[in-house]
This record gives sequence, C-alpha cells and structure tokens, in this order.
Amino acid sequence: MNEFLKQFLIEGRELVEQATEDLLALEEAPDNRAELDNVFRGFHTLKGLAGIVEFAAMSRVLHAAEDRLAAVRSGERSVTGELVTDLLFSLDQVAQWLDELEREDRLPMVPDAAAAALVARFQTTAPETPATTAMVRTEQADWIEGLLSDHPQGREQGGVAVRYRPEPDCFFRHIDPVALIAQLPDLRAIRLVPNDPWPPLQELDPFACNLTVTALTGGTLGQVADQLHGVAGRVEIQALDPARSWRPTALSPEAMAILEEQLLLVSDPAEEGFDGRLGSAGRISTNVLRYMGWAAEAQKLQHGLDKSLALGRAEPFAGVLRQLLSRGSDEAAAIEPDKLSFLRSDEIAVRALRVEVERIDALVRLAGELTVAKNALGHVSRLAKEGATPETIATLLSDQYALLDRCVQQLQHSLLGIRLVPMRHVFRRFPKLVREMAAHLGKSARLVTEGAATEVDKAVVDALSEPLLHVLRNAVDHGIEPTMQRAASGKSAVATVWLRAARDGEQIVVEVEDDGAGIDTAELRRVAEARGIAAADEIAAMTQDEITELIFVPGLSTAASVSDVSGRGVGMDAVRSAIARLGGQVEVETRPGAGTRVRFRVPFTVLMSQVLTLEAGGQVFGIPMEIVVETVRLPRDRIMRVGAAEAFVLRNRTIPLINLPHALGLARDPLDDSYAQVVITAGAGQFAAFEVDRFGDHLEIMLKPVDGLLSGLPGIAGTTLLGDGRVLIVLDIPELLN
Amino acid sequence: MTVRLDIDGAIVLEGVCPVEDAEPLQRLLLQHREAAVDWRACDAAHTAVLQVLLVAKPSIKGPARATFLQDFILPALARHESLTATEESLPLGDGGR
Repeated sequence: MNEFLKQFLIEGRELVEQATEDLLALEEAPDNRAELDNVFRGFHTLKGLAGIVEFAAMSRVLHAAEDRLAAVRSGERSVTGELVTDLLFSLDQVAQWLDELEREDRLPMVPDAAAAALVARFQTTAPETPATTAMVRTEQADWIEGLLSDHPQGREQGGVAVRYRPEPDCFFRHIDPVALIAQLPDLRAIRLVPNDPWPPLQELDPFACNLTVTALTGGTLGQVADQLHGVAGRVEIQALDPARSWRPTALSPEAMAILEEQLLLVSDPAEEGFDGRLGSAGRISTNVLRYMGWAAEAQKLQHGLDKSLALGRAEPFAGVLRQLLSRGSDEAAAIEPDKLSFLRSDEIAVRALRVEVERIDALVRLAGELTVAKNALGHVSRLAKEGATPETIATLLSDQYALLDRCVQQLQHSLLGIRLVPMRHVFRRFPKLVREMAAHLGKSARLVTEGAATEVDKAVVDALSEPLLHVLRNAVDHGIEPTMQRAASGKSAVATVWLRAARDGEQIVVEVEDDGAGIDTAELRRVAEARGIAAADEIAAMTQDEITELIFVPGLSTAASVSDVSGRGVGMDAVRSAIARLGGQVEVETRPGAGTRVRFRVPFTVLMSQVLTLEAGGQVFGIPMEIVVETVRLPRDRIMRVGAAEAFVLRNRTIPLINLPHALGLARDPLDDSYAQVVITAGAGQFAAFEVDRFGDHLEIMLKPVDGLLSGLPGIAGTTLLGDGRVLIVLDIPELLN
Repeated sequence: MTVRLDIDGAIVLEGVCPVEDAEPLQRLLLQHREAAVDWRACDAAHTAVLQVLLVAKPSIKGPARATFLQDFILPALARHESLTATEESLPLGDGGR
C-alpha cells in the first residue's frame, strides 16, 4: 500500500472513531450546538479525506450525511435517534471499507447500488414533524416545481432532480457546470437560473459564474451522484419517484421504547387524570408511527384512541398499541443473521498507535542524555587506562551509574507512556453494539460509559475488548429482561448497562453492570446438579456467592433459549481465562431482580512488573510482587504434615506449604534445617506459601512474554534478563497452584 | 478562433467554444447589439459563454450542431428572456453606444 493510502487508513479510522464518539455525545445532548459542530466537522473532514484519495463512494455517502447534518445545523431538522442510527451506520460502513482497504491493499470497489442505498438513507428519511415537512417541502418546491413545470412528464415518470450551485470562481478551476450536467444520463430538462439578477451586458463579469443549474434526469441516484461527485459539495440530488418513499420494515428500538412507555402510561385507568394521559399517549404514539412511515397503522391507532377516549378506557387503544409493538419486534427479530456482522470483535482492537510529538521529543532528549552518559563512560575507561586510582574511577563510575539509571528510568517511563491509550479506544464502539444487540433481541438498552479517559497499556486495552464484548452480550441477552417483564416489575422500559473503567493503584478495574434480573441462582443450582458439576449435597451447601461463581464453569448456561447474540451462554469460562492471561481476575456480583455486575481487575501494564527474586534448587526465579503477601522465616517444627502435603498455621490461618524446588522438579539444597524460608502469596482468592532456598532482591523488570519453545510450559509468566546475563524466569503462581 | 464576426454581420460560434471565448463574445455582442449569434457549427459551449448569451439574449441562428445546445439551452435562453423581460426596459442600450 502506498504511503498516501496508509495515511488515509490511519486518519480515516481515527476520524471514524472520533465521529462515532461525538455522535453518541450528541445523542445524549441533542441540543448541544458544540457537539453538533463536532459531529459535522468530523463528517466534513472524513469526506474531504475520501475526496483526496478519490474514494467516490465514501465521498458520496459522507456528503449525504453531511447534508443532513447541515440541515440540522440550520434548524431545518432536529437530531433524532433515527438520524443518529443512520449516521452511525454510515460510519460503520466506512470502517468496513477501511478494513477492506487494509485487507485488499486497494480502495474497495463499492457497487453503485450499495452507495446509493446509503445515500438514500439520508435523503428520503421522513422529516420528524408535520411542521418541518411542510417547510422542507416548500423549500424543495421552489426548484423542483420549477423543473417539473418545464417537464410535466417528470411527475409521472419520476426520475432524479439535481440542483447544482457552482461557486462563482469555478471557471478558474476548470469547472464547466453546464457541461457536467450535460453528461448526466438520460437528461430530460435543464434550467439555468441566475443567483443574482443579471447586470447589464457591459457590466457582466464573464468569468464569474452567476448560475444555478437544475436538471431532471432519468438516471439513478447513484449514477447522478457518481457523475457529479467531483462537485459533490455544491449539488443536491432528489429522487422524484413517489413509489420510492421510504418506510422501515421494523420499528426502531427508540420508537419501540417510546410506544412501550405510552402503553405503561395508560395501564391504570383508576389513576387520576387518565383521560389526559390517554390523550397525550395517543398523540405521541401516532406521531411516532407517522414518523416511522407507518401511516396506515397510525390511522388505525387513532381510531382506537378515539374510541378509548369516548369510553374512558385504555382499550381498544392499548390493544392496538400492543399489537403494533409485537409486530414491530417480530419484524425486528426477522433481521438476517448476517446483519450481525457488527459483532465481530476483531474490529475493536486498537491497530495503530498515534504518538504526540511531545512524547517523541522527550525520547529524543533522552537519547541525547544517553549519549552524554556513554561519552562519560569512555572518559572513565580512558582514565582507568592512564592509571587513575580505583577510588577516582569508582566515584566517577557511580556518578555515571546514577545518571544512566535516571535516563533508563525515564526511557522506560516515556516508552510506557507511548503505549498508554485511553480505554475510550475499546469503549467507543460499545454503545452502538449494545443498542444494536438489544434491538436485535427486541429489547431496548442504553450503555452508559464512565472513565473512558482512563489510560491503560495498549496491550491491555486490546486484550480487554473481546472479554468485554462477551460480558456485554451476556448482559444484554441474559441479564436484561424482556421489555414486558421489565414493565411488570416497575423498571424503565429502556434498560441501562454501565461500563466503567478506573485506575486502582497498579491495577485497572473495568466493570460491566446491568439493571436486569440478576443471575437466577436457583436455576444455576438445578443446572449444575443436572450437568453433574458437583454432587447434590455439595451444591445445596454452597453459598450464593459460590453458586454465582459457577457461571465460570465451562459449559454451564441457564439461558432458556439460544440466541445468535450471545450464543449458548458458554463463554464466561473463556472470559475468565482471557483475563487470567492478562494477569487479572474476574469477579461477579448479582442481586436478584436488581442486576449483575462483572468486574475485571487487570494489571495497569503488562510490561513493567515488580518482582521478588528468589532461589530454588540453585536457580533464580521471580514472582510478581503484587501477589506476595509476606516472607517469613518459619521454624521447621511449625510445619505440619497433612496427608502427603504440608501446611502451617500463621496468625490463626492454615496455609498450605509447597516446596518450590520439588514443585519445579529441581533438586533441593539442604541449607538450614531448623528454619524454612517461606513466601506467602495470595492469588485467585487463596493463600499459599512456597518454601525456597533463599530470597533475592526486589526488581522492576520489563517482563517479556514467553514465546517459542517455552510458551507451552505451564507456570511461567515471562522472562527477563538479569544484570549478570542470566535469564530470570518469572513464575505464574496461580497457574502453578492449579 | 471559435468565436468571430461573420461578413454578413452574424457572430459565429464554431466547434467547441472554451471559457476564453466568453470575453470576445461579450465584446462582439456589445459592439454589435443587433447581431444574431449563429451556432449552427457549434459542438459545445462553455458555461461562461452560455452565461454571456443568457445576459445578451441575442437572436439565435440555428439549429445548433450540438443537440444538447439545441434541445436544452435554446429553450433555457428563451425562457430566461421571458423571465427577465422587465430588465429590457433598463437603459442598457444607451450605455452601450
């Protein structure tokens, strides 16, 4: 791929991410002008980028999106869930094109129809209220009516109307507006209208374009847009075929949610002000249906409403509404499974790092300081050759060591800083995913993210995306109850899922919480027994927490139905092992009827670790500091034999003792027989003690993950080189205990 | 030259008239207010050229060789004339001579 396209790929992805984020922010605050400007700017920049690499389809789609946003900015339209969904969809499409570009090493060939379909989403979506409809229609009428008056057949034939407003200086840029329009396929009519009244001929500047060109063609939207994509910013295209008016096949999740709320509103006729509520629920519901293009249904609902109002009862209005809701969700559920391609988790990984110039500058400065330190060492060695006293040499060396030490520390720090990315990189895709997953399941849910700015090592961010996706799927699929059930238990129809990240010392805590039904522990007990996970009496003796832990057992699921969103509910075991690979833990908490919280704790960075070095069987090993509780010198007579194993009691707690050289299959040094050197660790919720030959230092190391031949060995977390050239193997204690 | 004054006093557009033709055409039309524009040999005309025609509203000798001009621009010229008929009363003739 050439550099140009590479840059396009990187910037394009960033812009898509940023625009997605801005869009979601806008959805939260639809009246926020600054957010709107951000979104607009994002689409505008992306469109410009597409123009630079001459990616026509992307230009067209983004242009159409930008036009819609421009209409919002000018107050002609307002921000609706529909619009946000369409915009998100277009960004998603762009992201897919970028993926294809990366895969295929060339700009994707986008079929005309595909791009036109996307463009049409922005052009033919029904305006939200009758008032704006009228306004938009009159606005269009001016030029379209003008065209149609010249070419009345256009009313029956349909076709595509084009308005092109060239810039006044376009002639200097080798643009010939009329010639561009002349090339349109199946041209039927042209109108040339002066923007300002014509001056007398002698005052006419022949090189300033004062024309707006409107035209009517029999071509398709796609053909017209392609032909004019070079001047896309100045062109409006409108399909005239009345038969093409847009109507969604399913109600959007937002519409469903609104209708459900209305149904709740009229559920209790005994309550005060019922007639008023019925009236307003009716008004809102019919408006929603009309907006969604369900005009006939709106009519039907209106009849129901009239009858209900006359009777002072919720029926038949509520009945019609319920029927519509079930239909809306049926149709939503009928979406083809391949539409679920958005669930691919590989898309959410962070692929490239962008580094601020300041961080690079800091590294350059460090390189300079390292050079100084290197030169100083050369000087010291010269002095040594010339016979300087060992004391002088030692002083100089220790000074240089201190300098080098500082440089290296700064270097490590700077490099780690470069690797830090905000959690936003994984979070930003989730609000949309949750919304779509919920819609697919006929539920409605929103995702609230907190702490997206928390910075974490890129490797951790990448590795978290898949487990998080999994847990979010579970939350939406199994956690959140069906809407009706939520209504019955007095919860809001729109479920909330929280996704939080926070730094906690050297760890990052990431939580997914839902306000759903919680884990059905009774069912879990039953399934665990039925599947023979444990004996019936053991299961009966388990506490609620222990039962909840069972969801991490492979192959256990309480979900009554299998859905294509979260599959068979298996996977929490996979989540736990993915997090364990990062050196983290997963906890789950559930409150019946109130929700479930899954919490990941992962190390802040996988690279820098504090280790305690120790010797066992004549070899040096390291164990991660974070799991070391304490080291003790234990009198041997305190060690008890428990069957084949050993244990001791420390502060009223019985701790199993493992002889590390034995466990690693090494010969044991017979050192001190009266005392045992013991390190006590806490990991995976249990204490364990290891007897070692002797303890070494605390080291801060860059842990290299094991690869190659060693990667298959259990119990090894990674390796690093020691100052004397020996390899330090860092043990994975929880894995050893298993 | 794709724009020139013919011996019989008509302004002739020939072949493909580029943007540069707009200025000479404007000059010729100002000098010869009553001259007709003969576009029977014209294959295409730049928007700038058409713009001059729209403002000057000369009588046209056709049909144009290019069917696009004949079918789409000629009616546009005629309609434009009717739309801006009021401008005819402006004293532009006096200013020109």
